[in-house]
Amino acid sequence: MALPAFLDIDWKGLALPFAYVIVLAGALMTFSSVYRKRKAAESANLAPWFGPHLQRNIYLSLLHMQPEEGGEKTPRIPDSVLRAALLRRAVEDIRRLIQIKNAKQACSSLLQRGSVGDDLWQRFQRAEKEMEAELRDVVQEANALAPNWGQSIFQSAHEMAGNAHIRTQIDDLLATTESEKKWWEKRRGQIQSDFMKEIDSSEQSPSKAASEEDAVLVDTPSKSKKKGAKK
Amino acid sequence: MSDLTHFDLLPLQMDPQSKAISTLKPSRALTAELEQLNTLHRSLLGLETPAPPPPIPVNPKRTAGVTKLRDSGNAEYRKGKFADAIKFYSLGLQMATTRPLWEPAALVREEISGLLANRAQAHMALQNWAEGAVDANASVEARWVGNAKAWWRRGRCLLEMGRLDEAREWVKRGLEVEGEEAELVQLLKEIDTKIEKNQAS
Repeated sequence: MALPAFLDIDWKGLALPFAYVIVLAGALMTFSSVYRKRKAAESANLAPWFGPHLQRNIYLSLLHMQPEEGGEKTPRIPDSVLRAALLRRAVEDIRRLIQIKNAKQACSSLLQRGSVGDDLWQRFQRAEKEMEAELRDVVQEANALAPNWGQSIFQSAHEMAGNAHIRTQIDDLLATTESEKKWWEKRRGQIQSDFMKEIDSSEQSPSKAASEEDAVLVDTPSKSKKKGAKK
Repeated sequence: MSDLTHFDLLPLQMDPQSKAISTLKPSRALTAELEQLNTLHRSLLGLETPAPPPPIPVNPKRTAGVTKLRDSGNAEYRKGKFADAIKFYSLGLQMATTRPLWEPAALVREEISGLLANRAQAHMALQNWAEGAVDANASVEARWVGNAKAWWRRGRCLLEMGRLDEAREWVKRGLEVEGEEAELVQLLKEIDTKIEKNQAS
């Protein structure tokens, strides 16, 4: 008789509390899963801080070229090429590292003042984390390609970035020489012709000639003095 | 680059003889990058060690070469052969800029600024004010502080070319960087009197 007594539960009366529990649990679960999905999608959709890393892509493409074209005569990429590619990658990393360092101060103070949104800060932090992992990866690769290279690769890369910067700067400046020279030649020609005209006109009017001569006399000693100073 | 194992596979290929890397789908950025890569590769092949050595210590050979060229330039300058001096300085400059990229950049700045300042002076002696101005400008760009001579030389060249306002701006900036350098102060005075004279007439 115990069984029927056990079965004789007032299911109808219990339906309400059960329904309550189920609805509650279901609502919570749906909320949490939707919330998490949305958050993940949001952070995945954030634009990356930096554009595509071309040097890294080249390096990894070179690395992966070997096994894939195994059929015919495989163009085995020599280690020296890989080393060069890795060095180029390190140089780009240094450039990015400097950018991040420069941006960090400005970014955090802007965030504190509320001038930029939270997503910018998230993007920034993600870029920082990626950068760290990237640096570690490069050091590992460097150690694999040459003994103890990991210790000095970023020093070399830093100098390379600096050197490239100077060279472009200086080359740009020196490239202006031709145009400057042309400008000056034209200008000098103009000054000379003006001067000749003045002399011609001064010959016609004697009163003006006196003042013109004065000016010339003032000019000459100062010019010779300049020359003296240079030597 | 959301996760770190991901990368874009680029259609690259290598010339088996020259080991030069090229691409099947050229774009401007990629072509430029590959060219730099190949140049770097060639310069790496010239090394005895597999990887470039750390920046310090520096191989003294090139430094000695640059110094020697500068000294011979200075000697020609003192003899009054300014065109020859310019030639030596240009050679030195070429040597300094072809220094391997992984060697200290500060050293390159130092050498370039000295050579350019000297070449500017040689140009000035020949009254090539335009070239002198450009060289002095580049010298200052390579080394801002402690380069009062280059600041002065460009100021002087601009003054000689009659670009008075520009010269004044330049010398003022030079004074800000270098502090009260007597030569620069004097030059500024000279420029100011000339500007006044122009306005008066």
